[in-house]
Formats: sequence, structure tokens, C-alpha cells
Amino acid sequence: MILSRVADGLYWMGRYLERAENTVRLLLVAEELATEVFGLDEDVARSEWHDLADIFPGPALPERATRHVAGLAAHSLQALTFSAAHPNSVYFSLKRARDNARGVREALTVEVFVNLNETYRELEEAAKRRLVDTPTFRSVLGGTQRGILATVGSIEHTLTRQPGWLFLRLGESMERLYRTAAVLRVKLPALIVPEPKVDLPLLHTRWRSLLRGLSSFEAFRQSYGARLEPLDVLHFLLFDGQAPRSLRYGTTAVKEYLDRLSTGGSPSAPARLMGRLFAELTYQSDEVIRGSRYIPFLEHVLEEVTKTHEALSTQYFGT
Amino acid sequence: MKWVAAKSGFDEVFGRGQSPRPHYASLISILESFTLEDVARRERLQRLALMNQGITFTVYGEKEGLERIFPFDFVPRIIPAPEWKQIQDGLVQRITALNLFLLDIYGDQKCLHDKVIPPELVLSRKEYKRELRGVAPPRKIFTHVVGTDIIRDGKGRYLVLEDNCRVPSGVSYVLENRTLLNRVFPEFFASYPVRPIKDYPSLLLDTLLHSAPRASQSPVTVVLSPGIHNSAYFEHSYLAREMGVDLVEGRDLLVEGNRVFMRRTHGKRQVDVIYRRVDDDFVDPLTFRRDSMLGVPGLLNVYREGNVVLANAPGAGVADDKSVYAFMPALIKYYLGEEPLLPQVPTYLGASRDDLRYITEHAHELVVKTTGDAGGYGMLMGPFASKKETEAYVAQVKKNPGNYIAQPLVDLSSHPTHVDGRFEPRRIDLRPFILYGDRIRVLPGGLTRVALRPGSYVVNSSQGGGSKDTWVLAPREP
Repeated sequence: MILSRVADGLYWMGRYLERAENTVRLLLVAEELATEVFGLDEDVARSEWHDLADIFPGPALPERATRHVAGLAAHSLQALTFSAAHPNSVYFSLKRARDNARGVREALTVEVFVNLNETYRELEEAAKRRLVDTPTFRSVLGGTQRGILATVGSIEHTLTRQPGWLFLRLGESMERLYRTAAVLRVKLPALIVPEPKVDLPLLHTRWRSLLRGLSSFEAFRQSYGARLEPLDVLHFLLFDGQAPRSLRYGTTAVKEYLDRLSTGGSPSAPARLMGRLFAELTYQSDEVIRGSRYIPFLEHVLEEVTKTHEALSTQYFGT
Repeated sequence: MKWVAAKSGFDEVFGRGQSPRPHYASLISILESFTLEDVARRERLQRLALMNQGITFTVYGEKEGLERIFPFDFVPRIIPAPEWKQIQDGLVQRITALNLFLLDIYGDQKCLHDKVIPPELVLSRKEYKRELRGVAPPRKIFTHVVGTDIIRDGKGRYLVLEDNCRVPSGVSYVLENRTLLNRVFPEFFASYPVRPIKDYPSLLLDTLLHSAPRASQSPVTVVLSPGIHNSAYFEHSYLAREMGVDLVEGRDLLVEGNRVFMRRTHGKRQVDVIYRRVDDDFVDPLTFRRDSMLGVPGLLNVYREGNVVLANAPGAGVADDKSVYAFMPALIKYYLGEEPLLPQVPTYLGASRDDLRYITEHAHELVVKTTGDAGGYGMLMGPFASKKETEAYVAQVKKNPGNYIAQPLVDLSSHPTHVDGRFEPRRIDLRPFILYGDRIRVLPGGLTRVALRPGSYVVNSSQGGGSKDTWVLAPREP
């Protein structure tokens, strides 16, 4: 068993690493879609950036600068990548991940720390240069994403499976679960629409982009083939038992880590909360699908994840 | 390659006639086989390795969170076996005497009654903790870890400049410098019998456990750090990692029923040994500083009861006070009946009337220091100061003379240091680390600090210093 402060630091390091990776990925996907559809439907391009601001809340962008989509895109990219004042920017999350790692370095390995530190430093260097065009931006974000994945890889390959590792993974899984639910909550209202009224290829592009934003596009295609059926996508992202970013899978992972941390035979308070959510996602999916109760259900998931976070903080970090 | 010998002071590498001393000859010829481009490329690798591994320290007084790498010069400092033997024997003798002195002043105070050292000089220091009179630490060891600073005068004699008995730092750089040099210039090692140093963390753990109260029941050791914003945080974390023990902050510990525990995710666990890297004043807010948030309320009581080891023992700091230093030769003679094996720098005491007059009249030739400060802060370098600076400083000294000491400027030895494709002399010192467990051990190596600015005497990392790998050579087979 480990120090409460160290457990807290590792949990947040895991959360921030995962959050940084989510921000990078969703930025890359949003930027690509917005660029592609701009000529076809400016509103869709605009909504991509507004959605991102809803998923990763931060300070409001200056109104004048964002009147045009190009300005909105440039400002959003800049703020969500480099801003030190934006609590969900890639830079902010990586810095927090690294600060936490520095505070618990003796619980990590050199490989983990060096990968994270290098990734952070490269982004910090990029922040000092003026990134002239979108391809440069993409390449910086791509580098950051590879660095984060290398860090996650070294966590998997070098840490012993003791509570420290469990808290890192717990933070990562909690963040992933929460963020997936948040993405779906923001995106679905515009995507679940009566079909005849909309441009079908464009709608499909947006569904595809949703899947890619949750790194699930290829996984989905492998399971369901190339045909994009919204109900299949929803089932896949919410209730699939194998897709690593589905809500059900995420809940299973969080529940497993919490169970492994529970002692004395009975589940801890956070483990109980996750157990109930797990049961809903596993055994009551039909009710959500039949009643098309997606939005209220997603809100319920977000609430339960928040409660679980509070319960595990009390239980293990003494905060 | 261009080599420049020192114009003044002792040159570690070049003897008379500019030819290298025998123990440096191989190194120089290996270095000569490199091109300047090779050297520049290797140096870039080295900087990158330091940054990426986060081997950094924090500079006070600058923007929060400013991390710097501790500059590393790849030309190693080499100490032949016979020279090291003198240093080692001298340090063992000195640390033995220091501990006897501490035991005495917190016990019967014989040295004060016998007037070996003026009582007020010891008892008035804020580092003397009167609350701890009559409390002998476990196994009577006060200083589990000491870092003693050693310099060489113009003739190359090793002199003790000061002892650090509180929380000496720098050993992580000693270990990392070896790794780094091995990575960047592996060729250097081929022709030298360099004594290994990498077992320091396990020796440190053994040293700490030697004093543990529950020796039979696998005692629990922790490193106590003020936290991530402390300048030596890297080292705290490094040593905890290397010893395989928990790194804790004050808020991780709690006192219950005269025992210390750490707060863990699944309940608390008793702690037996605390290698504390926080100053006395911040250990326990109930006893020393009420305004401190860093400490653990009640910790001192647990220590008094003998239920926890604090390393170094609280109150040990008085032994490295700069005015106590002046009496070390006498104290060695008093406790051990021996002459000091390592000489030290003559010291004038502000507390003594005659000395004070000498200090005020000769301030322009002297290095004047406050007795309490460390890190090169708050001192006057008389020979380099302006008249105005000197006068202002002397005025301060007169207000509170007991807080000052003065020493003649010792022309530190110089060592070739790589500067833009040339090897130029830069002044150095040496901080060996001494562990006191079942016996006193001196790590065969140490931190060689370099004043990187040309002509400078100040080697402190906070003031533009760097460091070198320090090789102690094994004795040659007969």
C-alpha cells in the first residue's frame, strides 16, 4: 500500500495524461473535419469548434476574432494546444501530468518520467516558436500524441502491478470514461436527427468523425463493416464489451481497479457506485436504446462518474 | 586541443613546466585524440540527457518553478590513492570528534567547563537546541551523513573549509555524474582504476537502519522532503527511489500515541527512521517554529522517547557553525588526543574582541561570512569588493559581531574545464560524503564543484557553479 499523497499524485497524473491525449486527438479530428466541410457547410465547420469548447471548457475566445470560421479555428487551435490559462489545453494537462510525476517520481521508473518529460519539453519548445500553418500544427500535435503513447507504453512495460500502477490506471480510466461520455453528450443532439431532412453523406462524415474522435473508427469497421448505421455506432460506443473506449468497457475497467483496491471482502463506496453503473451498461442497454433515452442516460453516466471520483478521493486520498 | 594552465593557485593537472602530472597523462592523451567536433557533439548529447532526465535544481529568488540543469563539465577530477587516504583518514577523525563534541554539549558539557571552547559561543547559537539537552540519539550518532567541503591551497595542501552536518546535499549529482560521464565519454575509463561509488544508496540505507529502534522487526525508513519546490527536491526523490523507500512530506506523517505514522491509502503505517532533508526549525512546529507548515506536530516528542530515528539528529547543526569550526583542531585534540590529520583555514571570530578588530581593519583582504548561512549567500569577498561594499559590510559586522567570522582568501586550486573548444582553468572544491553507521565510511569520490565564471571563487550551484565527475583511484597492486 502506498502513501495517500502519492496515490493522489499518480491518479491525477493518469487523468491528465489521458486528458492531454484526448484533447490532442479531438483537436486533430475536429480540425480535419472543419477544414474539409468548410466550403460545403460553414455551420458544420463552426459547430465542430463550438463542440470542442463544450467538451473542453475554458476561457471564452475573443468574439471579434472568431466571427469568421478561419479565425475561430486558429484561435481554438492555439488556445487548446498551448494556452497556459486554459484548464483543458494540451499544454496545461501535460504540465499537470508532469508536475504530478515530479511529485511522485520515486514511485515511477526512469522510462516513464523521461518519456513524459521529453514530450512536455518538446511541446514547450513548440509553444515558443510561431507555428505558421496548419500542417506544422498537425505535426506538433502528432509528436505530442506519440510522446503520450510512449509514456503510457512505458507505464505498461516498466511498472510493477502494485497499487501505484492501479491508481495511475484508475485515473486514466476515469478520465477516459468521463470524457467519452462528455463527447457523446455534446455531439449526439446534432447527430440523432430524422434522416430525410439532412445531407446523408455529410451526416455520415460527422458520425465517422465522432468515431475517429474517440479512436474507435477502425475498431468499429472491424466489428460492423464499412456501413455506418447510427444505431450500430451508438451501441458500439456505449455498450460494446470489447471496444476500449466504450462506456461499458470503461466502467468495467474502473470497476476492476476499484475492486482490486478494495480490502476486507466487501466493495468500497466508489466500487459500489461503479458496480451499479456497470450493471446498467451491461444488462439494461435495451431500455436506453428502445426509449432512445441517450441524452438523459449520458447525463446520468457523467453524474455517476463524478460521484465515484469524489468517493474515491475521500476513501484513498483523504481529501 | 588548446590547454591553458592556471596563472595563480594550484593547478590540479599541470605541474611545473606545463607538463601534466602523471595521473592525468593518460586522460589528456585520450582527450587529444578527439576532434573539436566530436567533443561538441558529445557535449550536446550530455545536455540533452540532463534535460530529458529532469536532473535539475530549482533556483530561489527567480520565477517559481524555474528549473535549471546543474552544468556538468566532462573533464574528470582525479585523486590518486595516497592523497585520498589522507582525506579519508582526516575525515574519519574529524567526524568522530564532531560527534563526541555534540554528545558532550548536549550532555555533561565537559568541553565547556574545561574552556576548550567558550560556552556562550556554543549555547547562544540558534542551532543549539536547549530542549534536547540530555537526549542522546540512538547509538549516540548525531551525524549519519556529513558533507565536508575541502579545498586546496597554493601548495596543493588539502584544507577543510567547512562541515555540513545538517542536510548536506549533492550526492545525487556525484552518482549521476558518473553515469553521465560513462555515457558520454566511455573512452576515459579504460586506463584508470576508478573506485566505484554506486553502492552509496545501499550504504546510506544500512547507515540509517543501524540506528533503528525496532531492529528485529524490519524497520520502516522514509525520506522526508519539504516538497517539490525545494531546490534539492530532485535529490530527495532520487535517494528515496534508489533506497527503495517512501518519499514523504510533513503532511504525510502524523503522530499518535508517541509513534510516527505515514498516511496511506489503506490505513497508516509506523515509521522508524526518518532521513529528514528539512532543517531542524521545520521538523516539528510544536517545538521549534510555530509558523512552519512543513513539519510534523509532535515529532520531537517521539524522537525524545526513542521511538523514531531522525537523521541527522536534531541539534547537530551547531557542529557546523562557522565559529565552532574555528575550534575544531582544539576539539580533535581534546577528545581524541590526536593532531588533526587534515588542516583547516585560519579563522577570525567576530565574537572575540581582538579578532574583531583585525577583521574590521583587514576586511579588504578577508572573506567575511555569517556563521549561519550556507550556499554562498551573505558573504563579503574582501579582495574583490569595492570600498563602499566593504564599508557597508563592516558596519553590519559591528552591529552583531558574534554572527560573523573571517578567513584569509585561499586561492582555490584550478582544474581544466571545457569552455568553447578550449580547456581553461576554473577553480574547484571537493565535497566528500561521510556516513556514520556501524563505522564511519567515506564515499570514495565526492562532489567536485567548479566556478564556471573565469576567475571566480564561488562554486555554489545557486551562483553559477557546475560540477565534475570525481575519480578516486584504487591503490596500484604492488
